[in-house]
Amino acid sequence: MSLRKVIGRLLFLILVIWAASTITFFIPRLSPRNPIRERFAELARIGGFSPQDLETIVASYNTKFGLDKPLIQQYFDYVSSIARFDLGVSLNKYPKTVIDLIMESLPWTIGLLLITTILSFVIGNLLGAAAAWPRAPGWLRSIATPFVLLMGVPPVLMGVLLLFFIGFRLKLLPLGSAYSTGLVPDWTSLSFIWDVIKHQIMPAMALILGSVGGWVLSMRGMGVTIQGEDYVLFAEHKGLGGYAIFKDYYLRNALLPQVTGLALALGTVVTSNIIVESMFGLPGLGRVLSQAIQSNDFLVIYGIVLFITIAVATLMVLVELFYPLLDPRIRQN
Amino acid sequence: MSKIKLLWILTALVFVLTACAQPAPVQQPAPAAAKATEAPKAADTPKAAATPAALSAGPLKDVPRSKTLNLAWSISSPIGVTNPWASPGYTHQEANAMMWEGLSYYLIYANKELPWLAETMTYSKPDFTELTIKVRKDAKWSDGAALTAKDVAFTFEGQMKNEKLPYHAQFKTFVQEVKMPDDFTVVVSFKIPAPRFKFEVLTLKFDTGIPIVPAHILSKQADVNAFLGGLDMPHSGPYNTVVWDQNQKILDLREDWWAIKAGLVAVPDVKRIVMTNIGGQVGQNMDTVAQRVVNNEYDATLDMRSAVIGNILKQNAKVTTHTGNKPPYGYLDWWPNSLWVNTQLAPYDDARVRRAMSLVIDRNKLNDMVYEGAKVSTIYPFPLYPNLVKFTELPAMKALVDKYLPAKFDPAESTKLMTEAGFAKNSAGLWAKGTQTVNATIQGFEGIHSDIVPILVEMLRQGGFDANVNFGTDAYNNMADGKPGLYMFGHGASLIDPAATLDLYNGRYSAAIGTTAGSNRFSRYKNPEYDKIVDAMAPLSSDDPKFTDLAIKAMEIYWRDVLDIPIIQWLHRIPYNQTYWTNWPTEANLGVGCNGAFWHHTGMLVITSLKGVQK
Repeated sequence: MSLRKVIGRLLFLILVIWAASTITFFIPRLSPRNPIRERFAELARIGGFSPQDLETIVASYNTKFGLDKPLIQQYFDYVSSIARFDLGVSLNKYPKTVIDLIMESLPWTIGLLLITTILSFVIGNLLGAAAAWPRAPGWLRSIATPFVLLMGVPPVLMGVLLLFFIGFRLKLLPLGSAYSTGLVPDWTSLSFIWDVIKHQIMPAMALILGSVGGWVLSMRGMGVTIQGEDYVLFAEHKGLGGYAIFKDYYLRNALLPQVTGLALALGTVVTSNIIVESMFGLPGLGRVLSQAIQSNDFLVIYGIVLFITIAVATLMVLVELFYPLLDPRIRQN
Repeated sequence: MSKIKLLWILTALVFVLTACAQPAPVQQPAPAAAKATEAPKAADTPKAAATPAALSAGPLKDVPRSKTLNLAWSISSPIGVTNPWASPGYTHQEANAMMWEGLSYYLIYANKELPWLAETMTYSKPDFTELTIKVRKDAKWSDGAALTAKDVAFTFEGQMKNEKLPYHAQFKTFVQEVKMPDDFTVVVSFKIPAPRFKFEVLTLKFDTGIPIVPAHILSKQADVNAFLGGLDMPHSGPYNTVVWDQNQKILDLREDWWAIKAGLVAVPDVKRIVMTNIGGQVGQNMDTVAQRVVNNEYDATLDMRSAVIGNILKQNAKVTTHTGNKPPYGYLDWWPNSLWVNTQLAPYDDARVRRAMSLVIDRNKLNDMVYEGAKVSTIYPFPLYPNLVKFTELPAMKALVDKYLPAKFDPAESTKLMTEAGFAKNSAGLWAKGTQTVNATIQGFEGIHSDIVPILVEMLRQGGFDANVNFGTDAYNNMADGKPGLYMFGHGASLIDPAATLDLYNGRYSAAIGTTAGSNRFSRYKNPEYDKIVDAMAPLSSDDPKFTDLAIKAMEIYWRDVLDIPIIQWLHRIPYNQTYWTNWPTEANLGVGCNGAFWHHTGMLVITSLKGVQK
């Protein structure tokens, strides 16, 4: 790809980020809910803090955070801030900054959701390819079927079933949290790492079991189409071995649209798995976003949505840049 | 130049220009020149303090499970907020009550005050315009500094000057001056008689009262509201927070706690408290939490719904409740729930409509369906604690109950009242005036109301009211904003006399439509006759016969005008796991004499009196 095209893609990336951040800025502001007030309301509801003159306190915070300025001025302040990579402070968890909240929770999200998405992708595509490949042994082709059946089960329901049977009844795995109660995080300790892994198995299963089927079906569809392609028939007639045809002619060609799907799926891991994180008590980005939406903490919502936008847009650009490496035809064109 | 190129250039230009623009106004703190003991006012322009991802006081000593108390809670405050004056992040409920103490505690089931940081607190003038506080000479902060009258005066002055603190309004209303005649005496002069100030503001109980803060730390802060406190902030309570991350808070006992040395308490058995952050809002994800109690992972949690706690008891014989394994499984909390309405808003401004709604609620059926027959439904807006029970048993009060029959279930009379009020039933069998039905959507909270509100909705619908449920995140704001519908909410007010609850309906707090109702005073009731009565009660001590007469008059108006529709006394059905810990406060063993909620201010007393099963 020429330098001109790369620069073009990067400029387009900036345009996408600006457009997304502008839309994201205005949508939460359509709601009359004030995050400062929401925080005090939550405290008042549970009895933690119940001042008589709530509105005076809220008004003083509105002034402090500039929420009493005209919306358009707030918008320019916001764009100015993000251009300087300053996402501001959480209005609901002041003085926590949005960057802090994201960085605290991101490792847990990456640790679980990124791995499960990639695992689903790898398992699903291999099983899907095997299911469509006529030379695959029967037992291998049949493995895909249960995953396709589980595809209709949402991760939340899967999580409930796993929690009840594996965690509660059989007591094989812990019932929730990122690690055992009272354990102090020590990433140099193998026993702590093992404890964390044990706590991630059930949420990971809840996510993988339901999502593998999607990859299986789409890969199987691609595989069936590719089997009839001239280049596969040509390779067979040329006398190439089954494994070489499978790997170089069949899998590689079927994988291209799947890679695009993976980039899109990686961008949605945070939003699509909020409930799983909540259900298993995992302190990931989904939980932060969920809490921010509940309290209309719009600076946190902006920050996380912006982060996801950048992640998806960057991944799409990267995928586009990597396509030529996967498919020589694109390189030649 | 193509349009696309132009757009790119413009986009880049926008970013460059905005990046070069002035930073967004996260304003900087005003320079503070606070004197050593002068309580600083809230700075108008505080800056954000550094906020860590996790805090740890260094390598922790090993504490066995048998010495560790595991609690479950939804921790919502930012990591590191331990300063009671940090705003809006601080709450005593997330184990911070283990760090901060008050001048005295009130033990509800023992019905007595427990002097703590103050040896005595007495009104030194008979008209309740002066309070003299003698501070304990052996009280110390965790850094070894003496806790003196300076700290108490600093705490009071802070509340007076700093509008962001929760008791600012009370101090502003009542307190004239705070003096320190010597290092261990504080004299508070009041502008008007304040017989309840000592109890309502200076005594810690349930969720109310103020903790004493260290003057030598907070007086040095430019902005006391933005100062987090962290793990190192000197405090007077028995536990140090040693770890705080997104998953949990860990607090370790400090053996040099002044109260042990002073002989107030024995060395607590609980050496470590682990409060797991179960995420979400308080009351969410309780099914998984219940399973973890059954598996002995947690020793106590937030209170549960009746069906859930019943299942816990069936599955783990070591778990008990305030009433053992018998219904209703809980103790009386200070939060009796009513269906509140905005009495300024039609059709709820008509007392006949309010009364008609009350008449279609079958309180006996509620007892049977939700509480397994236990008598939890109520006709009172205050909790039935010993002093208040005495009040309800006065002949004059009984006569009022006979006159107004607030518990009456009578759909026929409800129909009569609604017809009188100008309503007619529409084709769907719902009361309507014109095409407008009576919006009886109940605003409530799923985590705590999911067992009772659907039943109330059905009762109201059968009575012809257009009822529904809203457990959405906007429920509380709808109540505070006075939106149409009914509000299922409690009265966190009276404990020892009815004054605080009756004052909730004082016209002084009646917010106009379009404004927010502060301090959960949702009824917005305004009646000069009623105000005159409660204002006359304010300067009187509750043992004054005139006070009782006035309270009865106010109660008559409460029932006559149906200021809200009382539904249930509130129960805390907390599971107490006795696998590792005993001496939980129960009906059979009241222990230290306070309620068992570990998240309340008195939670510190509960936890420090627990006994380990394994020595």
